[in-house]
Amino acid sequence: MNFRKREVARRIFSYEFNRSTYRIQPEEDKAPVYVLTPLGMRCNRVFVVGALLDKEEVKPDSGVWRIRVADPTGAFRGYVGRFQTDALDSLMEIEPPELVAIVAKVRVIERDGRLFPALRPESISVVDSETRDYWIYETSKRTLERIRRMEEKADEDCKLAWQIYNPNLNEFRQVVKQALATLLEEFELVGEKEEEFEEKEEFEELEEELEFEEEEWDLTDILGE
Amino acid sequence: MKDERIERITNQIVEQFKRSGYEVDAKEISKRLRLLIHEFKVPESEAVKTIKNWLAKELDIPREKLLAEAPLVKIADITKPGQWVSLKAKVVQLWDSTSPSVSQVGLIGDETGIIKFVIWAKSGKREVEEGKSYLFRNVVTDSFQGRMQVNVTRTSDIVEIDEDIQLPPREIEVVGALVAIQQNSGLIQRCSICRRAMAKGVCPVHGKVEGYDDLRVKGVLDDGENVYEIILNEENVKALTGMDLEKAKKIAAERLDRGAVLSELKARLLGRYLKVGGTRGGRYLIVNRVEFLKGVDRKDVEKLMEEVAV
Ligand SMILES: [Zn+2]
Repeated sequence: MNFRKREVARRIFSYEFNRSTYRIQPEEDKAPVYVLTPLGMRCNRVFVVGALLDKEEVKPDSGVWRIRVADPTGAFRGYVGRFQTDALDSLMEIEPPELVAIVAKVRVIERDGRLFPALRPESISVVDSETRDYWIYETSKRTLERIRRMEEKADEDCKLAWQIYNPNLNEFRQVVKQALATLLEEFELVGEKEEEFEEKEEFEELEEELEFEEEEWDLTDILGE
Repeated sequence: MKDERIERITNQIVEQFKRSGYEVDAKEISKRLRLLIHEFKVPESEAVKTIKNWLAKELDIPREKLLAEAPLVKIADITKPGQWVSLKAKVVQLWDSTSPSVSQVGLIGDETGIIKFVIWAKSGKREVEEGKSYLFRNVVTDSFQGRMQVNVTRTSDIVEIDEDIQLPPREIEVVGALVAIQQNSGLIQRCSICRRAMAKGVCPVHGKVEGYDDLRVKGVLDDGENVYEIILNEENVKALTGMDLEKAKKIAAERLDRGAVLSELKARLLGRYLKVGGTRGGRYLIVNRVEFLKGVDRKDVEKLMEEVAV
């Protein structure tokens, strides 16, 4: 029996998530591994709502599926294998593109000296746009709280994040602004399409940097139980 | 009229001593009361106190015993009217008394619950203050419009105590995502003796016994800062999904699989935002009401947008 307190599922945009590469090593055996984000949050589990863009078997008949899930700030990538029974079962039923909610453990994969964060889903479920909208709102709120705490250097994790990432907080504010704008656009129905377009392009570029070929990787680390 | 009053006070005193196991002479008490109240114009409460002291001395009863005779109980224990009890409680709320016969009315609470109290004007008891804790000695339980209350009467005592009585946690509201549903959810069987959930037809206490069907969801609500374990009963599940026990049984029968109910509930509830009102006890959130969160409020989004712009 494990009586350890259940890890909270953190709310984080893909923009911040994809830049979270620093692992905090557990102080004791079997303690959870945390990833420190550029805004000074430790996370072990996340809750993500976005559009499942594609699912692809990493190698034919490998039973390991790569997924990409987009939010207004970029895309998460994740891997689902046979140990993630519930997530795999639902994934097989879903045809992308589709709005999904994912509860996932956070993993950082290493390759050629580079580190890539990824999701290891525990559950995947199809949801509606209201769920997505609330997630964007909630995640914006949490992100702003983290920005504030970073400004104040509120705790040791914030100080560590400054040391490791030295983040440009304005960049993260812009990301939140962009996410909230998608919600306001929905209210308006007439959005400022051109501006949105420009900003999207900018983010695609940033995503490009992080692209990698996972076919050759050893995925045992991320998919093991 | 005057004698009626004397008679009532006499009876109260006789009753009180009877509960402590002492027989006292009603005639003698009435005689002394009449003397004190009518002849000497002593206030009722003083007269009562004087007579009780005299009786205690006569019968050689320790004063403490007489005062503490009604058992100390918790608010949650009060279920029947007409019981004499003592309570340690905090004054939670004072209401406006609209009746001249009522000195004070409001709510008092301890860690087990909250109850209405009434201090009758003729009891002549001290006034209490909001937020302070008291020992309410010898108050009588009563039922008013189907709800229990306690009455502070002439034979009661209110003593302020140097103790901060804790109240039951207030109802809180949590908006969170249902991030996990436990395996022992869905269409379950309960032991017909103890109502415990059974696993594969076996009760953890009574072993292999007959069971009955029930519908529930044990899950984890997560707001990004805290996790709460919640149990949704049949009523809650029905409110959210429209599925009641009968429908669940039908699904199980049609698909020849009780597990189909759990799959269905997972598909409809996992990853959804729920608004839950309930009482928090440790890591549990006792669900009083539950509903799906309906989108996001435009004003909230605009407010947040302003914060970013700053
Ligand atoms: Zn039993």
